[in-house]
Amino acid sequence: MQLSDRVTGGVLVVLGGLAAWSGSRLPAVPGQDVGPAAFPMLIGSGLVICGALIALGIGRSFEVPEGEMPEDAPATASRFHGLRVLIPPALLLFYMLASEPLGFLLTAGIMVFVVAWALGASMRLAVPLALVAPVFVHLAFYKLLRVPLPDGVLPAPW
Amino acid sequence: MNEVIEAFRLVAAPDVVIAIVASAIYGLVVGSLPGLSATMATALLVPVTFWLSPIAAIATIITASAMAIFSGDIPGCLLRIPGTPASAAYTDEAYAMTRKGQAEMALGAGLWFSAIGGIVGTLSLVLMAPLLAEMALSFSTFEYFWLAFLGLMCATLVARSSPIKAIASMLLGLLVSCIGMENPAGTPRFTFGLTDLLGGIEPIPALVGVFAVSEVMRAMATAEPPKLPDRKFGSILAGQWMLTKKYQWPMWRGNLIGIIIGVLPGAGADMAAWVSYAMSKKFSKEPEKFGTGHPEGLVEAGASNNASLASGWVPSLLFGIPGDTITAIAIGVLYMKGLNPGPTLFTENARSMYALYLIFIIANIIMIPLGIVMIRIASKVLRAPRASIMPVILLLCAVGAYATGNNLFSVLLVGAFGILGFVMERNGYPVAALVLGIVMGTMVEQNFITSLIKSDGDVMPFFERPVSAVLAAMTIGALLWPLGVWIWNRTGGRRLPA
Repeated sequence: MQLSDRVTGGVLVVLGGLAAWSGSRLPAVPGQDVGPAAFPMLIGSGLVICGALIALGIGRSFEVPEGEMPEDAPATASRFHGLRVLIPPALLLFYMLASEPLGFLLTAGIMVFVVAWALGASMRLAVPLALVAPVFVHLAFYKLLRVPLPDGVLPAPW
Repeated sequence: MNEVIEAFRLVAAPDVVIAIVASAIYGLVVGSLPGLSATMATALLVPVTFWLSPIAAIATIITASAMAIFSGDIPGCLLRIPGTPASAAYTDEAYAMTRKGQAEMALGAGLWFSAIGGIVGTLSLVLMAPLLAEMALSFSTFEYFWLAFLGLMCATLVARSSPIKAIASMLLGLLVSCIGMENPAGTPRFTFGLTDLLGGIEPIPALVGVFAVSEVMRAMATAEPPKLPDRKFGSILAGQWMLTKKYQWPMWRGNLIGIIIGVLPGAGADMAAWVSYAMSKKFSKEPEKFGTGHPEGLVEAGASNNASLASGWVPSLLFGIPGDTITAIAIGVLYMKGLNPGPTLFTENARSMYALYLIFIIANIIMIPLGIVMIRIASKVLRAPRASIMPVILLLCAVGAYATGNNLFSVLLVGAFGILGFVMERNGYPVAALVLGIVMGTMVEQNFITSLIKSDGDVMPFFERPVSAVLAAMTIGALLWPLGVWIWNRTGGRRLPA
């Protein structure tokens, strides 16, 4: 997801503009000069300025080139490889949608298995981990911390 | 005096003792795993603190963060991969020592001077906080506005990236803090008609997303770090006393710089380590040895990052302005536990404050034996494959976010902030500035708008009170600093060291 400064700067300009514009449309407090609109408008304009400067490449000389970790091995660099980074947020979305109907244990098991598998774990590691980790997390949060984790189709036996 | 005895009693309670030991082990393990930072360790602890007593809750945060900052040195020294960003400044140096066969000396220096730094930092907190509290009692919204703004500016100044990108990140954080109806007028803003957004975006899901989920995402895209070869260590602390005597002056300078950077709102342990390492090299009698496995920089920077950790609590406790991302989390916990930050905390709740100091001292003392154990078993801990740790981290992100409000929407927020953090980091936007913007946005706006209303829209009163004038000058200086450096470089001055 390495984007050019032009793209990220442009996004910031648009975002700042939208924030300032929609901020300016907020209702004022009767009898006051400054209301809820002032702050978003200020930030929005700041973002527009910063975004424009970034897009123009000003300030790049300050950036410290980082000793980046080696990127993925070329053997696995397929077209969809870059999309793997979206697995964790996708799984969080899955958790939000599925934990109520499926229950915590099942949802968590699937999540753990998918991440382990995507990171190249063998079945001998991924399967036991997916079976054990959710149980421990459930015990800790449900029993110790009393978080109401959903039962779903597979209620925990405790 | 009674208050002090009472504080001892508070800290000796069984639940607090258990909390200290458990969070010490947790902090040591998480800090030593590359990619899992001290901030992330602290953020994932928050749901646990809900169910603890106030003192135990603070104890877990203090202990876990202190341990994690030290144990970040371990993989840095042995693998050349810093365990936490605060160790990155001297990772090359420590690794060079390991290659010279001085791994014990390097790790011992990390441990010994971390503990000293932590204790000196705590003493500074003990001395400084009550003095500043006196002063803070007379602060009005003008001073609070400038303080909060200065904190945000420091956060952008210290980021090791383009200052414009850092300011943009900070503004983005402030924009996020505008969401909801938590503003002076109580008007819903940027909620897009979603009831879940009416209450605004809590800092914890944002923090967990930015620091933990984005790390799991990064693991997906990078190769697994190399495994640590099994090795036997000699005595860890042998020779540390000699180093202490030999590098006494750099050590004190490191402590002092760490304390100053910690007190500055917004600048934390990573920056303290970078500045101290650079200082050490600049003032050393033998700068040519730096980078070849020379302990001097390790001594100074190792003391510095732990000292900043304690003094970072000064602005947090006094003004509710976080000294770094870790205290940003701690402030949330303080509010939750009824220990609202402010100058009156020191008069009305003195024994809790004494207890807090005690916990700091205890944490830094038990760091030495526990740290030695950790160094000895490090090769076994670091052998755990990433594929077994990251899935559990992601699961904890989901459950932890859910637990903060028993609300599934936060799980979605965590994912969204994960993506945001990942994209920002990849493109050189510092995420710490974003987080501080989110945490401090409401406070900045509240004080800004109240001040403007008080002054009838006039800007002059912002500069009229003496303290606020000084703070304003510092803030504007911080704002103009990058510009000055830029002009200096342009006009043919020599390139300033970063």
